[in-house]
Amino acid sequence: MEWLNWFKSFENTKPVAMIIFFTCFCMVLFYLYGSKKRGERLESYRDIPLMDDNQDVKGAK
Amino acid sequence: MFKHDSIEKNVGLMMVLMMLAISVGGLVEIIPLFFINDTIEKVDGVRPYTPLELRGRDIYVREGCFLCHSQMIRPFRDEQLRYGHYSLAAESQYDHPFQWGSKRTGPDLARVGKKYSNEWQVAHLMDPQSMVPESVMPHYGFLEKTPLDYSDVGDRMAALRLTGVPYSSNQAEYDSNVKQFGEDVAKMLDIRNAQKNLVDQAQNGFGGAPGNYDGDASNITEMDALVAYLQVLGTMVDFKKYDNDQFVKYR
Amino acid sequence: MAAVGTATIEQYNYDIVRKFSIMALFWAVIGMAMGVFIASQLAWPFLNMDPWFTFGRLRPIHTGGVIFGFGGCALFATSYYVVQRTCQTRLFADGLASFTFWGWQLIIVLAASSYVLGYSQGKEYAEMEWPIDLLITVVWVAYIAVFVGTVMKRKQPHIYVANWFYIVFLLAVALLHLGNGLAVPVSLTTMKSYPLFSGAQDAMIQWWYGHNAVGFFLTAAFLGMMYYYVPKQAGRPIYSYRLSIVHFWALSFMYMWAGPHHLHWTALPDWVSTMGATFSIMLLLPSWGGMINGIMTLSGAWDKLRTDPIMRFMIVALSFYGMSTFEGPMMSLKDVNALSHYTDWTVGHVHSGALGWVAMISFGALYHMIPRLWDTKLYSTKLVTVHFWLATIGILLYITAMWISGIMQGLMWRAFDDFGNLQYSFAETVAAMHPFYVMRALGGLVFVSGMLVMAYNCWMTISQGKAAEAGPAPVAA
Repeated sequence: MEWLNWFKSFENTKPVAMIIFFTCFCMVLFYLYGSKKRGERLESYRDIPLMDDNQDVKGAK
Repeated sequence: MFKHDSIEKNVGLMMVLMMLAISVGGLVEIIPLFFINDTIEKVDGVRPYTPLELRGRDIYVREGCFLCHSQMIRPFRDEQLRYGHYSLAAESQYDHPFQWGSKRTGPDLARVGKKYSNEWQVAHLMDPQSMVPESVMPHYGFLEKTPLDYSDVGDRMAALRLTGVPYSSNQAEYDSNVKQFGEDVAKMLDIRNAQKNLVDQAQNGFGGAPGNYDGDASNITEMDALVAYLQVLGTMVDFKKYDNDQFVKYR
Repeated sequence: MAAVGTATIEQYNYDIVRKFSIMALFWAVIGMAMGVFIASQLAWPFLNMDPWFTFGRLRPIHTGGVIFGFGGCALFATSYYVVQRTCQTRLFADGLASFTFWGWQLIIVLAASSYVLGYSQGKEYAEMEWPIDLLITVVWVAYIAVFVGTVMKRKQPHIYVANWFYIVFLLAVALLHLGNGLAVPVSLTTMKSYPLFSGAQDAMIQWWYGHNAVGFFLTAAFLGMMYYYVPKQAGRPIYSYRLSIVHFWALSFMYMWAGPHHLHWTALPDWVSTMGATFSIMLLLPSWGGMINGIMTLSGAWDKLRTDPIMRFMIVALSFYGMSTFEGPMMSLKDVNALSHYTDWTVGHVHSGALGWVAMISFGALYHMIPRLWDTKLYSTKLVTVHFWLATIGILLYITAMWISGIMQGLMWRAFDDFGNLQYSFAETVAAMHPFYVMRALGGLVFVSGMLVMAYNCWMTISQGKAAEAGPAPVAA
């Protein structure tokens, strides 16, 4: 269990945490912006709120 | 291969990942506070509240005093001059809940104990503007008229004992309190004599302070309890015993 | 009649949304009026009536009334509306949804009464004593079940991003409530309890809760609201769906770290407060991601700002959101915080977020939704404009007063005379704040009068809708 002490010092944990979180962030960015096709698919979901208009109010038409 | 697609379409997986994302911050900041020894300074004199002070503290919480008065002096020169030595974590180690506050509509109260006489405190609580004309504090005259209900003070101490406050409920715990706090204090912390101790302090005082906090010896009121609490705030640690740099390493 | 009965089974459960919308308006009026009253108590202390109606006991009624009453009901209403319409399915478990409605109203009434009677846990925004905390837990679990249940039976394969924000809000609030609510009751027959933790640890847990009540209750959830109602009202899709995903994950992750900035320079260990400040500053980015996404939705249709007062509410809300999320990181810097902490500056900051962002985006959403719920038109668009200006002027008066009084008081506390003594007594700083307390109460009064205009407008809209429904049935087209 001695090795756990390595985590006790901020000099060690700060860069490790930085690397982990930054990698996650980059992966998310890559996923979103890395492929054009995937990007187009994702952007198509923008329209979901506008797809229910047939349910909309009668009076406002 | 991991696909974000599957998160977007699987609410269960999405919730797991969300839990992960929102748990990290709290875990990293809270858990170590219970294990790092430096969180609470080693200092003599801090003790749990006596039964009367505890009931006073309950009234302090009940009336929402913490919404306008902080109990946390910061390490600045102006606060040192105005309020005294900056607050230590050790000084609120028995405070369930903590009452550090977040707003100073009125002044900080962390070291208000013994700064004013009991008479001043009572007169001020009855009619703050009579003592400080600029004050915007409400009147608390009803405390003087309300008899203190101390029938359940033992239950209250027992509940606090469960959270880790060293109130004693048997001989072994009592003995350990004698060792840690001295005999006079240990007696006060004994749940078995809670009501008797409360009445005793209200009539005769405790630790060198005179009793009868509200100036009316005929009964024990909520005013007695609240003033007893106010008068002990910040007085437990004798800072003359430590040199100025003693606590810096904990910061 | 039987044929009519089957024909009128609604595709969506609007009944529950209607109930919550009405209660959102009700609690807004009560909670905000209480705010004006306690603001007046600070300006004119004779308004305190002991023992029950003192500032200390009424303040949690104001905060609880607006956050959990108004904010909570607005979130219930909009989340139930949004989840049904973006998942294109009816709400899961009508009975359970109805239970969340009555349970939530009961919680607010019980909490408010208990504060007046002097029951308080002694922790800001979590003053509810343990029996109420337990009730909240039960209702919250039901809320999660209804919401997630609806998402699970959705007809649309993709889960729209607004629902992500609502889900993370549901989860985070559950986590925070359970963590901060841990307490040992004095006995099973009394309301009184003592929190499990003490001192520095209790402080950290409280502000982990307190800050993230802001982060998830008042921010993430209302961003969910924004992601549905802004595109709807504008009639255009959100600016960038991918940006919404990035800022969603960044916001969810980072907010939870920011709590310790409420405890700068206190007895909390320094490393925690440094960490809190670091993440608070980084939070600026995901926060502004949301703001930009919302505002840019209008790109190319800016004329709507002139013609549509509901849109104006939403865009001004986003602007206030941007402003508060800039001010917040700035106040989390230790040097700024040394001045701002314990002063009215913090109160002003909270209100620029609460009135400017939370209330205004909710007003926009409710104005959008209420005519649709009652199948009618808004009674008066002109009154919406009147409300908009009253709200804006009220907020500006309020936050200006608090900026001045906060910064002034902070500077007065630390002022020294030529001999190195404190220049002002505490009482002198209190006296100096009086005019600004009057101004703040006035700002609040203006805001509340706008709220009353809204309540009237919605009342008329609803009765108009009901009248049309009760009247002769229109010939089917």
